[in-house]
Amino acid sequence: MIKLINISKNYDKNVMALKDVSIEFKEGELIVLKGVSGSGKSSILSLIAGLSKPTSGEVVVDDKKISKLADHFVSVYRRENIGFVFQKYNLINTLSVSENILLPLVPLNLSKDEREKRLSSVLKLFNIESKRDTVVKNLSGGEQQRTAIARANINEPKIILADEPTANLDEKLSLEFIEMLRELKSKNRTIIVATHDPLFFNLDFVDRVVEVSSGEILS
Amino acid sequence: MVGKINFYLLEYTLKYILRYKYKNLFIAIVMSLLVALLASTLFISNAMKDEYNAILDNYPDIIITNQKAMRDSTIDESVIDTVLAIKGVSRVVARVWGEYYFANADKKFTLVGIAQFQEYSNPTLNDISHISDTSMLISSGVYEVLKSSYYVDYFNFIKADGTLKKLNLDRNFITSNTLENSSLIVMSEENVKDIFDYKESEATDLSVSVANENEVAFIAAKINTILPNTKVTVKDDLRVKYENIYNLRSGFFLTIFIISFFTFFIIIYDKVSGLNSEQKREIGILKAIGWRVGDVLNSKLYEGLIISLFSYVLGVLLAFIYVYVLDAPLLKKIFLNNYDLMNDFVIHFSVDYETLALLFFLSVPIYIAATIIPSWRVATLEADEVMR
Repeated sequence: MIKLINISKNYDKNVMALKDVSIEFKEGELIVLKGVSGSGKSSILSLIAGLSKPTSGEVVVDDKKISKLADHFVSVYRRENIGFVFQKYNLINTLSVSENILLPLVPLNLSKDEREKRLSSVLKLFNIESKRDTVVKNLSGGEQQRTAIARANINEPKIILADEPTANLDEKLSLEFIEMLRELKSKNRTIIVATHDPLFFNLDFVDRVVEVSSGEILS
Repeated sequence: MVGKINFYLLEYTLKYILRYKYKNLFIAIVMSLLVALLASTLFISNAMKDEYNAILDNYPDIIITNQKAMRDSTIDESVIDTVLAIKGVSRVVARVWGEYYFANADKKFTLVGIAQFQEYSNPTLNDISHISDTSMLISSGVYEVLKSSYYVDYFNFIKADGTLKKLNLDRNFITSNTLENSSLIVMSEENVKDIFDYKESEATDLSVSVANENEVAFIAAKINTILPNTKVTVKDDLRVKYENIYNLRSGFFLTIFIISFFTFFIIIYDKVSGLNSEQKREIGILKAIGWRVGDVLNSKLYEGLIISLFSYVLGVLLAFIYVYVLDAPLLKKIFLNNYDLMNDFVIHFSVDYETLALLFFLSVPIYIAATIIPSWRVATLEADEVMR
């Protein structure tokens, strides 16, 4: 489903984030990319999401060469296929929970009923209904995390990408997040988590743990 | 068209504007005031232009004034026959008028004498069929000035020899409050001559009508040759004189224009020079969750349109109120050279679509462009780079 073929990514002349990486992710798999900070795992997620382009090589998703698409089509691809959970959540702090979650739907101009249906569904799924009108800056870290996941799922994407999702959470909240991943996995979503949190390495529902180091895939 | 409008995008944009409400409010206020200042200036100058043009339209082709020691002096009516003898001259009228300074109110009145069966260039005077020797007609502006000094039934003019001349105020006021009529007092020619100490055969000037307008300059030159001690003014000379006065004031306002636009462009420069890190990050987030560059730019288009249209409409409304309701205090004084001496000339409604279009194109599209360009720069970068 997702193929990275001979990918290299340089951020400038001296910083080589990925070196000739080739890897494949199958539909419905949950893969953990393990590695220290700066190892290149976030760059892999970024390339799959089309947030950046490789210096060389190709990213192919469902037989489409994502890395060759024009910006306009990459945005559409991202909207229809990708749910991204960022390390720092990347929420708009001055908007409410429901406004943040609904943001990906704004360009679609869906009917009010459809928007409400989708919103209610993710609010319930990620247990954040009671905070729907709360401004994000007034939420706890865990609530912000759940809002970010709800936003990532509002379009029911096939692929969920999570970059260091538990980096700002305590163990209890991290375990809650893991349960949410289990729920998403049961819905046959393809999930790729980039993390160095050991909690993820021995989970029964994780299909593969791939180690990334110095821009290369080790295992 | 309505079907194509994305109201959710509009809603997001409105919330975005409100999130930066103090900054946007400041921009809207500054823009509104600039538009109001420019619109007021243009409204007044258009009204003045119309007034001057109206005066000139009614003006005689040629005016002959006597000159003594290079100053205007009274002219003897016997000259009329000499002028009438010139081929091409169709009519010559001796005009008796003068300016009277009312020290009590620090105002200047224009006293015009009328004779029966005479035709005048000012149409208001032609409407007056008869006036008695003991009364005078006054404009509503003059009435207000006299009333403030408790003259409600009569007025005492101080004649040249220091004695008083009492004339009753006629209740039929001259209602046309144009620039020309604002300080107008109409009375019989004999009374004007008495107040200004003119001799029986003296007039202030002669107005000359020429049958063929192409011959005006030629006839004016001929009058000058025949009457070397007179000053001959043709309508076109006066038009140039008015335009020069008008252009001088316009020059003053050009300076205001430049200062205003300098301020406006500082705002524009501030916007174009870039977004702050929070605004950049937001565009990065929107792109990361699937917004296209076009979606971001549409939102910015709405933002620019809402702020600039609001400012434009508010600015024009403020200008309307300032000029036509409050009668443009201060600006009117600057435009009318000797306003202190003039009575309450009312600025007549004079708005042309060109003025409104000029103001629109000088403000709205520029502001929209200044809102879109920096966002377009950020939106076309890789989302990853913008958020980092």
